[in-house]
Amino acid sequence: MKRLIYSLAFVAAITATGTPAFAQQSGNLRVEFQGPGGHSSGAYGRVSALHAAARAVILIQKALPAGSYQITNLTGGNSVNSIASDGLIELKLTAANAAAYQTLVAAVTKAAAEGAAAENAFRGVKAGDLTSGAPATVRSVVRPF
Amino acid sequence: MVAAAEKIANDPQVLALIKDQSTDAAAKARWNQFLELVRIPSPSRQENLKAAEIHRRMVEEWGFSPSEVMTRADGIIAGSDTNIVDGLPVYNACVVITGSYSGRADAQHYKGQFPKVLVEGHIDVVNPEDLNQLPANDKFNHIKLQPYAQPVVATPEELAAIPTELSFDARGRIVENDQYATASKVFANAKEAEAGGGVRIYVPGYGDMMPSTSNAFVLAAAMKKHHIKPVYDIWICGTAGEEGKGNLAGMKQLYGFEQKLGTGSNPLNIVANFGLEGGGVVNFLGSYRFEMKFKAPLPRGGGRGPSAPEAMAAAIAKIADVKTPSELREGAPRTTYTVGRASCEPPPAGGTVVPSCSLEVDMRSTRKDPLEEIRQTIEPMFQAGASAENARYGRKDGGPEGITLELMWYGLRPAFVADSVDNVAVHAGLQSGIQLGVLTSPIVGTGSGSLNDNVPANTGIPTYQFTLASSAAGAGGHAFWEWGTRGAPATEVARMHRVLTAALIVSGFHAADGTVVQPAIGPIGKRTREVAR
Repeated sequence: MKRLIYSLAFVAAITATGTPAFAQQSGNLRVEFQGPGGHSSGAYGRVSALHAAARAVILIQKALPAGSYQITNLTGGNSVNSIASDGLIELKLTAANAAAYQTLVAAVTKAAAEGAAAENAFRGVKAGDLTSGAPATVRSVVRPF
Repeated sequence: MVAAAEKIANDPQVLALIKDQSTDAAAKARWNQFLELVRIPSPSRQENLKAAEIHRRMVEEWGFSPSEVMTRADGIIAGSDTNIVDGLPVYNACVVITGSYSGRADAQHYKGQFPKVLVEGHIDVVNPEDLNQLPANDKFNHIKLQPYAQPVVATPEELAAIPTELSFDARGRIVENDQYATASKVFANAKEAEAGGGVRIYVPGYGDMMPSTSNAFVLAAAMKKHHIKPVYDIWICGTAGEEGKGNLAGMKQLYGFEQKLGTGSNPLNIVANFGLEGGGVVNFLGSYRFEMKFKAPLPRGGGRGPSAPEAMAAAIAKIADVKTPSELREGAPRTTYTVGRASCEPPPAGGTVVPSCSLEVDMRSTRKDPLEEIRQTIEPMFQAGASAENARYGRKDGGPEGITLELMWYGLRPAFVADSVDNVAVHAGLQSGIQLGVLTSPIVGTGSGSLNDNVPANTGIPTYQFTLASSAAGAGGHAFWEWGTRGAPATEVARMHRVLTAALIVSGFHAADGTVVQPAIGPIGKRTREVAR
């Protein structure tokens, strides 16, 4: 059973184990956002995983040096009249060396968490809150691919 | 109308139908039919699989002759002037309970169409979003069962990992095993379900709105079986295109509604409408939907340029911070929005530049002015996103080296605010409830809905809504975790009694004693445009 993990902890774990995929100058990341979703009108006020993903992209722009990343995908949601329960950013990172690459990954991870946090704050929900029994917040996770 | 309601509700033919539906065998048949139909994925504008199964059952199982099936597998309704909506066929599924009216010597018609009453519920469901994305060897929804003691699933992966699910045989029939027995337990509410070993039954469409639509066809078959004879024809339809980008396609076909003109020709001459999505509302939210494409410039000289996903992200991020009129001003009409969906074209092989990205945004309000206000707030943000991205690279808007915008799709749900509720659908809807003890007074709510009813209401056709569903509990509508728990079958039967009574009040009815309850409305339906034929 998958549990979303706040990505700073995730990256810390990856770094500690020295996963070879990160020991390189370039690589691809998937930044996944998960929220409760719901009816666009009936459930209005819930957080949107897609809105959170877009917020995170803007934070990535601000946090990463120009030329160090390229967004290769931004997607989410399943219908125009539903609050998106999922969001996804795919991006390619390029760094001069492995240490610099890890710095970029950490920055992306931080931006993802802050994008989710901004969306949660805008809608006034916090970790542990439930909506109709489901987790009310947007959560993010970062994975290499 | 009071006398009509009393006579119809107590007519021996009607009571025989209700008694027949009140048996354990009938309750089980309804439940099984629902499970078998809800299992069939039916995204908006891709309802063809579910419509095909409904069409098959109409003739092979529900007692209708092919001539009583009013919709075709290819999406055509003979007599409609709007068989293509947004460039696509419309997969409605309708049967007729034929009335006596057309046999009258003095029968009136509109360009060959005799009057009819429409009873409908939609057959499209938000999830999954695309039939083409389903695995080739796994084309049906999985119906998962979860004890109440466990928390509601937090992710699609958690849902998929639930080991207990319902089974179906090769013909699509429910397998009546232990899991089926567990899922079939009936409860009054969530508290009783939790205490009594109930389960959350996860499947898209449980709440919105296959139980009600499935029971509409149960009612149709029962009317046929019990020889219920209206005066005007009654059409009972499963309608397409209520969700997502469906744009109310099913209703637009039935009512000849042309979005560009904003008018409905009512080509089938429907005189009254009853929706089955619940609500009992008389005012209808308007909505605007936009699909905008952000197109990247062609890469030049190996240098970097504006990015389509980042332009779209800039637009979404701006929209995400919008506060609606009802959030800004106390007492302002309720207004909502969301960017419901976004996607990007993949970069070409070997490249990393995304050619284009598209977003879909939904805006709604109970009133026109705040709807226009939210549109005027959000619509400029599409270009603002593109401009922000262009500015990062010093590119001019509208030039060949910058991000450009293209409107891909525009959706409109026509709003309707009732000046008066003095119409036959509302009267019949209320009086049937009073007659059967569900209501105590003829009062309509002041709330608004966004339903299939928007189209007939905007076209001038009286409309009212009920539900034929009975759930003990449920949540997660439009989300991956949509679930429900079975409610009392007797509630379904009571609701069938009310819907049948209301429809027959309006259509007119040949009672068992040989008398005729005359139709409550004249034979020519309203329209806002003439049919061109």
